[in-house]
Amino acid sequence: MRGALSSLRRMIDRPDPAPEPGSSPRAVAGSRPAAVIDVRQVTKTYALGDVAVHALRGVSLSVERGEYVAIIGASGSGKSTLMHIIGCLDLPTTGRYLLDGIDVAAMSEDELSDVRNRKIGFVFQSFNLIPRTSALQNVELPLVYGGIRSSAERLHRAQRALTMVGLGDRFDHQPNELSGGQQQRVAIARALVTNPSILLADEPTGALDSAATVELLDIFDRLHTSGRTVVLITHEADVAARAQRVVRLRDGRIVSDEPSLQGSGERRVTLTSEMSPV
Amino acid sequence: MNRQNVRIALQGIAGNRLRSALTMLGIMIGVGSVILLVAVGNGSAVSIQNSIDSLGTDTLTVFAGGGFFGPGGRSTGAESQQITLTAKDVKNLEKKYNAPDVSALSPVDQDGGVTASHDGSTWTAGSFEGVYPSYASIENEQVRSGSFISEADLQEHAKVVVLGTTAVKSLFGSASDNPIGDQVNFSGTTFTVIGVLKTKGSSSIEKLDTTALIPATTMQDHYTGTSGGYSEIVASATSPTTVDAAKSEITSTLASDHGLTTTEASNDFSVESASTLISASTSSSHTFTVLLGAVAAISLLVGGIGVMNIMLVTVTERTREIGIRKAIGARRSDILGQFLVEAVLLSVLGGVLGIGAGVIGSLFKIVGVQPVIALYSVFLAFGFAILIGLFFGIYPANRAATLRPIDALRYE
Repeated sequence: MRGALSSLRRMIDRPDPAPEPGSSPRAVAGSRPAAVIDVRQVTKTYALGDVAVHALRGVSLSVERGEYVAIIGASGSGKSTLMHIIGCLDLPTTGRYLLDGIDVAAMSEDELSDVRNRKIGFVFQSFNLIPRTSALQNVELPLVYGGIRSSAERLHRAQRALTMVGLGDRFDHQPNELSGGQQQRVAIARALVTNPSILLADEPTGALDSAATVELLDIFDRLHTSGRTVVLITHEADVAARAQRVVRLRDGRIVSDEPSLQGSGERRVTLTSEMSPV
Repeated sequence: MNRQNVRIALQGIAGNRLRSALTMLGIMIGVGSVILLVAVGNGSAVSIQNSIDSLGTDTLTVFAGGGFFGPGGRSTGAESQQITLTAKDVKNLEKKYNAPDVSALSPVDQDGGVTASHDGSTWTAGSFEGVYPSYASIENEQVRSGSFISEADLQEHAKVVVLGTTAVKSLFGSASDNPIGDQVNFSGTTFTVIGVLKTKGSSSIEKLDTTALIPATTMQDHYTGTSGGYSEIVASATSPTTVDAAKSEITSTLASDHGLTTTEASNDFSVESASTLISASTSSSHTFTVLLGAVAAISLLVGGIGVMNIMLVTVTERTREIGIRKAIGARRSDILGQFLVEAVLLSVLGGVLGIGAGVIGSLFKIVGVQPVIALYSVFLAFGFAILIGLFFGIYPANRAATLRPIDALRYE
């Protein structure tokens, strides 16, 4: 019964097929598809004791498939709150959030779990790997929750994801046996293993040294090049500069939303010629 | 999916070995003590049963006055109009048309406080009784050496005595001594020892080896007199299955002989069979077993509270992990399953260890009782342990499952 249901669930919610490797994101953008992330007049208010904290005061943001967006802002600007709402970890107080055209507010808790599992890959500043669990098992976990029953298939996909982020030789290492950069790459592998269309990263380089930061940003570049939607939060200008588009938040409002000055267009061309696409 | 839950739960248990072990210890002690204490209660019931069986299941005893277990009680004076059990009663009961299911009868004429002496050694008889020769077959007594009281001894009012092992030991210094033909003085009258009874074993039933038996006629001549009547009459039924028939035949014969109605009869004398004793002892040892089991069940419950406590700590400690799992797509049921399986695994593992401890513990004698494991207690305790895991696991697991992912992730 449960097996039949979960296979039905998989048929309906089949993960988005990966875009053709090497296909130009420009071309996708040119065809004007519906926005994959559509945040409309969202506010978020927390009650912190007796004080109401207005983390977001009416944010509207639309991200199209294949875009690479950086959200920047000082701490307390509401960027993390926005990211949590985009990642379906939190719900807006008012306003609407449409993910792939579907209103998140209408979804049940289990549907939200499935959305987080299939459509969104989340990378955290503090890595958030499960302790005392090997890299491979950490990466395998979303597939377990995604209802992939064949352990051989789960293992194969987890190994492929880890190899893709350059950790093909670290399968059996536990998080405390890995460096910060390696842990973050495990986290990225875990975010990508279900083949989600959106990758969200909340200050992914915040806890990394500069060498690891460069490695990580290269991975994001490659993911973007391969057609994935990437949204990352940062407060470092050089990290934001890698994105196509920079959204700046202050006091819960968007104060600017413009293409990155350095533009990732040229960089992307050089990168694609240097690196094989994912 | 369920296999994954088990794997994740096992990782959780292995992640904190000491704590898991202590939690399991609580369940283990609970399950083990339920099994062991029920086995002790059961074992004492079995040993009582065995000693009653050794007395003969076809034996009946007639008491003057209300019975041990009947209305009024044996020693109640007010309503009980004690009848006198006489040689005439024994004669009447011996007649086949009165009691066809009775095969043998013997009065038991007891005199208390008689002191025996031999060659300077003295001994206060545990029971000094005047009986018929048939007493030996009714009470399953056998002589180790010499012979039992004969019909001739009875007719001749012979001054002969058959001694129990303890009596021999007290009077002659050693239990293995062969005192046949020796003279023993019982409160002034000298008797010749004609036999020594076989030991009936270490059973706790009274008067087994501390007996001195003489002919009933001699007893009346020298001690109790003819007016007082016998304290008991023992009888044996023709077979264990006719015990109840024999009992009612004895009752009606004695009632009509003494001119009593049935109601009066139940107050004035009583007829007890071994089966009455068995049912009385079964019900009292059942109560004993239930009490022991209840005490043990409380410790099992305490073990269950330990599981709940640890699961609550675990959920709090792993709040962040729960947040991570939810962020990568775990449903509420996944988290619920993970922690519930962990709680149940803890109590199942504890239960298995407890069964082992209970089984090993019951190999040893406890306060003189050889425990006999009751199979039902094993299943009961184990099933109860699983239920306790479920019951006490549901609240912590549900608490984990209903955490909002963002709150769980932010938890420090």
